[in-house]
Amino acid sequence: MDSVAAVDWAAYEQEAIAAYEHAGTLDEHSVVNVRYLGRKAPLPQALRAVRDRAGGLELNSLKARLEAAQHAAAMRIAQASLPDLSGLDVTIPGLPVERGRLHLLTQIRREIEDVFLGMGYEVWDGNEVATVWENFDALTTTPGHPSRSINDTFYIDDDTVLRTHTSPDQIRAMLSRKPPLYMVSPGRCYRRDTPDATHSPIFLQVECLAVDRGITLADLQGTVLQFFCALFGEDREVRMRTSHFPFTEPSVEFDVTCFICSGRGCATCKHSGWIEMGGAGWVDPDVFRNVELDPDEWQGFAFGFGIERIAMLRHGLPDLRAFWENDLRVLGQF
Amino acid sequence: MKVPVSWLREYVAFDWPLDELARKLVFTSCEVDRVVRRGVPDTDGNLRHFLVGRVLEAGKHPNADKLQLTKVDVGEAEPRSIVCGAWNFGAGATVAVVVPGGVMPGGEFTIEKRKLRGEVSDGMILSERELELGQDGGGIMLLAGDLEPGTPLADVLPVGDDILEIETLYNRPDLTSIYGIAREVSVLTGSELKPMPGTDPARDGDEVVDIRVEELESCSRYIGRLFRDVQLGGSPAWLKARLVGAGMRPISNVVDITNYVMLGLGNPLHAFDHDKLAEGRIVVRLAHAGEQLETLDGTARELDPGDLVIADGGRPIGIAGVMGGANTEVGASTTSVLLEAANFEPLTVLRSGERHRMRTESQTRWEKGVDPELAGPAITYASQLLAELAGARWSGEGEVRVESPAPAVISFRPGYTNQVLGLAVPEAEQRERLEHLGFSVAGDWSVTVPSWRARDVRRDIDVVEEVARFRLEDVPLTLPTRQAMFGRLTHAQRLRRQVEDVLVGAGFFEAYTYSLQPSDPDPNAIELPVPLSSQQRLLRTSLSVGLLGAARHNVDVGNDDVRLFEVAHVYLPQPGTVPSEPWRLGGIVQGDFFRAKGAVEAIFGALHVEPRFERALPVANGPVGAAVQSGWVAQYGPLDVGGDWSAFELDLAELFALVPERILYRDVITYPPLREDLAFVVDEGVPAGELIAAIRAAGGEELRDVRFLSDYRGDQIPAGKKSIAFSVSFQSPERTLSDEDALRLRAQIVNALAAQFAAALRA
Repeated sequence: MDSVAAVDWAAYEQEAIAAYEHAGTLDEHSVVNVRYLGRKAPLPQALRAVRDRAGGLELNSLKARLEAAQHAAAMRIAQASLPDLSGLDVTIPGLPVERGRLHLLTQIRREIEDVFLGMGYEVWDGNEVATVWENFDALTTTPGHPSRSINDTFYIDDDTVLRTHTSPDQIRAMLSRKPPLYMVSPGRCYRRDTPDATHSPIFLQVECLAVDRGITLADLQGTVLQFFCALFGEDREVRMRTSHFPFTEPSVEFDVTCFICSGRGCATCKHSGWIEMGGAGWVDPDVFRNVELDPDEWQGFAFGFGIERIAMLRHGLPDLRAFWENDLRVLGQF
Repeated sequence: MKVPVSWLREYVAFDWPLDELARKLVFTSCEVDRVVRRGVPDTDGNLRHFLVGRVLEAGKHPNADKLQLTKVDVGEAEPRSIVCGAWNFGAGATVAVVVPGGVMPGGEFTIEKRKLRGEVSDGMILSERELELGQDGGGIMLLAGDLEPGTPLADVLPVGDDILEIETLYNRPDLTSIYGIAREVSVLTGSELKPMPGTDPARDGDEVVDIRVEELESCSRYIGRLFRDVQLGGSPAWLKARLVGAGMRPISNVVDITNYVMLGLGNPLHAFDHDKLAEGRIVVRLAHAGEQLETLDGTARELDPGDLVIADGGRPIGIAGVMGGANTEVGASTTSVLLEAANFEPLTVLRSGERHRMRTESQTRWEKGVDPELAGPAITYASQLLAELAGARWSGEGEVRVESPAPAVISFRPGYTNQVLGLAVPEAEQRERLEHLGFSVAGDWSVTVPSWRARDVRRDIDVVEEVARFRLEDVPLTLPTRQAMFGRLTHAQRLRRQVEDVLVGAGFFEAYTYSLQPSDPDPNAIELPVPLSSQQRLLRTSLSVGLLGAARHNVDVGNDDVRLFEVAHVYLPQPGTVPSEPWRLGGIVQGDFFRAKGAVEAIFGALHVEPRFERALPVANGPVGAAVQSGWVAQYGPLDVGGDWSAFELDLAELFALVPERILYRDVITYPPLREDLAFVVDEGVPAGELIAAIRAAGGEELRDVRFLSDYRGDQIPAGKKSIAFSVSFQSPERTLSDEDALRLRAQIVNALAAQFAAALRA
């Protein structure tokens, strides 16, 4: 005890710090460690033996100072032993990490889904094979309507078709649960179109349906605007023009101001300032009757549009067949 | 439909600029594709270059056998010298001339004074085709001889017109006529709609026309008028110009008149050569089995008993509403014409058109539904024109008609419009708009629908649209006021995104391949009765064929290291109902079995599901494959693209059913793990996966992890055996495991493997 107490701690500290400052290699550094901070060095021994609080505090604080010096010395030595990388070419690529890409159509589909999720809509997955009742009859499509033609629609048998639009999901959704119902349904649709730059017998559509009390065409227009602002940037405008679909009355086409030229006129919008985006309307009361909902209580709007069209417009793809060729040189761009 | 504006103005005098009219029609009535100029451009005084000329001299060009050299008086002091390639005229002819500076139809070509084979040509003598007045380009156009040379051509010929190109909607058959569009324009612009044109000529004769309609359901009205002394010939220039402007080809005055009235009023008409009608009579009936008809397009057609035909005393002479027959065609020798104005049901015409794969102007109108009251005005107008333009004498008529149903009366509430639009439209405006459109509105708001809108407007909501379409630009922008609100992906939708993201992170590119494929692993895959092509005939039951095609395409275009996946439906036949459409995940990768397997393990790992593989051969000719929960992974046999390829396919619903609902925390921090490597010698045929499963079972709660390290065959291992090494770690959430614990756990594992697989621990 006495021998320990006899140590001149100020000198000990001075010596130790000087020793750390002089250590030039890791070996010298460990020699200093052993001498001043090792198990058998005076300071750790004194710490084990100390019994009074003030002495303990003082020794602990000394130990902390020495450890700081030890750390600083170690860092200095490590720094000094680094290889000289001042000439390294940092523009040489790093080690490759593999990554793929989501298909552009999936990226856009997710973006659309997310916008609608944010507006409080559900995402619906509908079957692509539909009954004639779901695809046409329940949507009040007259027996002579051209969309039913065998020249336009893939029939599997007299009662079954490959859905020609995502609209049968309106019927399935309304049959599956009671309103209020706010849903969006993306998926594959089929029409007997000969493939070319802007037609494909298989294409992706998104259906949007809102059923609630007191829904108006103004609600449709406002929702469409929100959607396109989210997709094409703020400051969009939308407009509705008269149209005809069997299952909406009134029916409209909606246009959005061109996001390339902001309405001034360019090749994308054929110098009109507007881009046609899809069809929409106020849900025909007879559609509600077909799914046993009371049109006096429930009203709704529906709209639909193509995913490929959005992708082509936004990314300047001239030919939609590229979406189905899956060329990595194309997929890798998006 | 192409609408010559001069024709439109004949029915409605509007003063809006055309662009403005087109812009507004787009909102209220129909798509307007564009406004184009037909014929001579009317800009910068161009019309003054187009003049009436009289040929003073005409003779062979001295240096060219095929050219004429002429002197033409165009009202100037000196005649002009003009070289011309046509020979259908001589001195004295009155012709249409364009002088240098004139811009020709199309706007691309300006006439200049120039030398042709050494002779000056100071203008051009014009043909019908050059003026876009008709098809005749064989010779120049001859004008009436009493015209004064120098008269502007525009004063005597419709040399140019503006054309509105519109697309009509399915529910607006009334807009497939110029008059119907004029009605719409009158409502839009507030201009007056003139009365429908046409006055019956004097009847001269009382011949009976025998008409019988057997199918009154499909043909509710048939008027046949007989005309004698018909002088068949060409139509006057104004009529040709109108037809050409509307996109139809002039043929002869009689045929042109039927087309002109169809375009003008909307009711298709047909003219038969009456002398060719057996027994001079008309029977409207279904075709008999085995009957044939050569239609006017020169095609011999096998008629179907579902086809409604117009027949004479013996044979079919036309497919109702679609096309007439060659056997009764009006031609050069025709002097008697039976003119048909009828009313055919849309479905009958539609089905015939589909069956015979035909598409005619007449058919497209019938399919949408022609105003049932239109046959009368149409035949009247056509009769007037036949008398005026073909010297025809109206000598007889027959008619069969079913009483028309009374016009629909709809009880309407103007408040409904506001409820639908979210915009208050004043009652007076609604009433005025409806009345202007031809509806009559009673004091109690019962609305009577005009015959030309009867098919489309049947309910109060349809009346709303009639008002609403004129106010679409004023509808405000609001959002639904919601009582309940939530928006979220389902569990399966979130997991689907996760799986996609895991694969993208692992270097895979997402592909979209066709749901319809040329072949399928399942012989029961649903086949389309009428596919678009043999490449798209089967509804796939697996994603593998499409992905293989996508991989092949990539190799063909020179891409390497191909890794693709797809998430899509497949279509599994179910007896008596629509197919089930489970979501599948498929992948294909360049490389051996273990590349595909690694991807599958990454997916299972991300979803916290322990995969269990069993040897299987899911792919025909593949050297190796395995079944795993919810699907398979395999290496393909030799492929035409070359190299090793492997693939996998998982049913996502089955896979997601294995995903733990929630992950419970295990304490892996408080007490340290013990690690140990164990190597066993086992028979060659023992699968590593089974050893791992046995180690897990034997290790119990305290076994934290077991990893495959290597499998080895070689010098120190007996033939028919292999050595498999694993790294295992033990850990307890309750205490630090001791050396004794390690020995105990190790013994449990060694004993279990010895018992189950005769495995010997290697020292």
